[in-house]
Amino acid sequence: MIQQPPRLKLFDLLIFALVAAGLAWLMGAITAQSHYNWQWEVIPQYLLRLDDATQKWVPGMILTGLFITLRISFWATLSALVIGTIMGAMKSGRSHYLKMVATAYVETIRNIPVIVWIFIFYYFLGDIIVPLTGLDRAVNMNEGLLRQFLTTFVSDPSLLPVFFSATASLALYEGAYFTEIIRAGIESIEKGQWEASSSLGFTRFQQLRHVILPQALRRMLPPMAGQIISTIKDSSIVSVISIQELTFQGMELMSATFLTFEVWLTILALYFIVCFCCSMGVAAVERRLTQNM
Amino acid sequence: MSLSTKPATFFTTAVVALVLACATIIPQVYAAPNGESTVEQVMKNGVLRVGMSTFVPWAMKDKTGKLMGFEIDVATRLAKDMGVKVQFIPTKWSGIIPALLTGKFDIIIGGMGILPSRNLKVNFSIPYDYTGMSMAASTTLAKDFSGLEAFNQKDVVLSARLGSTGVAAIKKYLPNASIRMFDDEAQAFQEAINGRVHGVVSSAPTPAFQAIKHPTKLFLPLKENFTREPIGFAVKKGDFDTINFLNNWITYVTSEGWFKERKSFWFETRDWEDRLN
Repeated sequence: MIQQPPRLKLFDLLIFALVAAGLAWLMGAITAQSHYNWQWEVIPQYLLRLDDATQKWVPGMILTGLFITLRISFWATLSALVIGTIMGAMKSGRSHYLKMVATAYVETIRNIPVIVWIFIFYYFLGDIIVPLTGLDRAVNMNEGLLRQFLTTFVSDPSLLPVFFSATASLALYEGAYFTEIIRAGIESIEKGQWEASSSLGFTRFQQLRHVILPQALRRMLPPMAGQIISTIKDSSIVSVISIQELTFQGMELMSATFLTFEVWLTILALYFIVCFCCSMGVAAVERRLTQNM
Repeated sequence: MSLSTKPATFFTTAVVALVLACATIIPQVYAAPNGESTVEQVMKNGVLRVGMSTFVPWAMKDKTGKLMGFEIDVATRLAKDMGVKVQFIPTKWSGIIPALLTGKFDIIIGGMGILPSRNLKVNFSIPYDYTGMSMAASTTLAKDFSGLEAFNQKDVVLSARLGSTGVAAIKKYLPNASIRMFDDEAQAFQEAINGRVHGVVSSAPTPAFQAIKHPTKLFLPLKENFTREPIGFAVKKGDFDTINFLNNWITYVTSEGWFKERKSFWFETRDWEDRLN
């Protein structure tokens, strides 16, 4: 059946106008009630400013924070996807021991609040894990290609241990949700697919890699998109362990300038833009996968 | 069927319990002191890591994102006199003591008031500065209030920053009033500007500066600060070498008159305001 694209009717327009009017009234009422003295002109310099010394445009505090948010979200999502794929495969696999490990992981993480987990990781586990990785020695790293790479794509070497704590705790947290999404995806594939690929002489890994996962991916994509966006939003929680990401910079700026509303509305808009772009990206991937069917 | 997920309930519970047990036991093993004083570690690493939090005008970021303020000057001078680099680690005020105890930085230089309750958890240097609590009141809710006693009523609500000495001051001097605590100074002041609390308690001179900025929303109900609090550096407990060094550094710098000069620049003038925004 070919679906007709939905057409806008007069009724829809009416509803739209009502919602818009309601929002406008609300904004007006908030401004009037709190007698707020808006100072929007202060905000742009925190986004982008002209450096006096070098005469170049450099990102201000808010944009610097946004870049850190993007880096944390990127590395956390990537690691969470890897953890989720391994754990998801383990959980839907045949080995009872591996299944137990994966279940224990998911149940532990999923039943504790993210903010408590991040605190515990930062104050207790991080102190044990970070020295093992040798990241604490990176603080005194000299100039060089590696340092440049780290500063551009990961974090300033001096802040690397804290950055690692934040990213790892977030990745482990989100990984539990990815595990369940991937497990559900794998298990939704019909038994016949396993049997058919098995009869072709595929090993279990080959079955997963060539037959099951490509089909499961299409089903996993919508909930995964939600989880990726959640990861970006949850990254704001690492502000509690003083990672200087978008939310933290917003709080710092608010403490210094006392411009509560302007700062928060700017931060809100930036999060929205980033998350909305992600939504669009996943929707595009989904369309391509459906076309290739 | 091989794909079924039969819940291995007993084993799962056991593994979860084991993980949680590890999480609680290991930190205690690792928390054992390693015997080296903070001063020695700082000299060895060549960098003094300073925990601080934004508090106008103690520490704040200017419009280029660089830190400035009274405490920033103090920490920079301290590091310079030690011959090491200084690294500032902005930390949320409510979590600053746990962060010091778990070694996220070497010292707190952030206008921290010396309180007996805090002193049980950390060691303080001798005071290098004194501050006092002051109050800004809402012109709508507390129009005719004057003097401290007017605010010591059952239906009075005051705001303050979570974990600050402002909270302690309200509990002590205004026991009948109720407190609303916020993570940041700005939120506490916004609450008073919006007229949702009668007043906001914070270290001088912030209430006075805010009252100048919002003359129709805030006023100063008290003529003088109602507390006097000593300010010191905080380091981990059991480290007397460091305390000895800090105390003598404070005495040395005080006799130069340096603290006084810096304090009058940040607290009595507003020459730095155009660097802020």
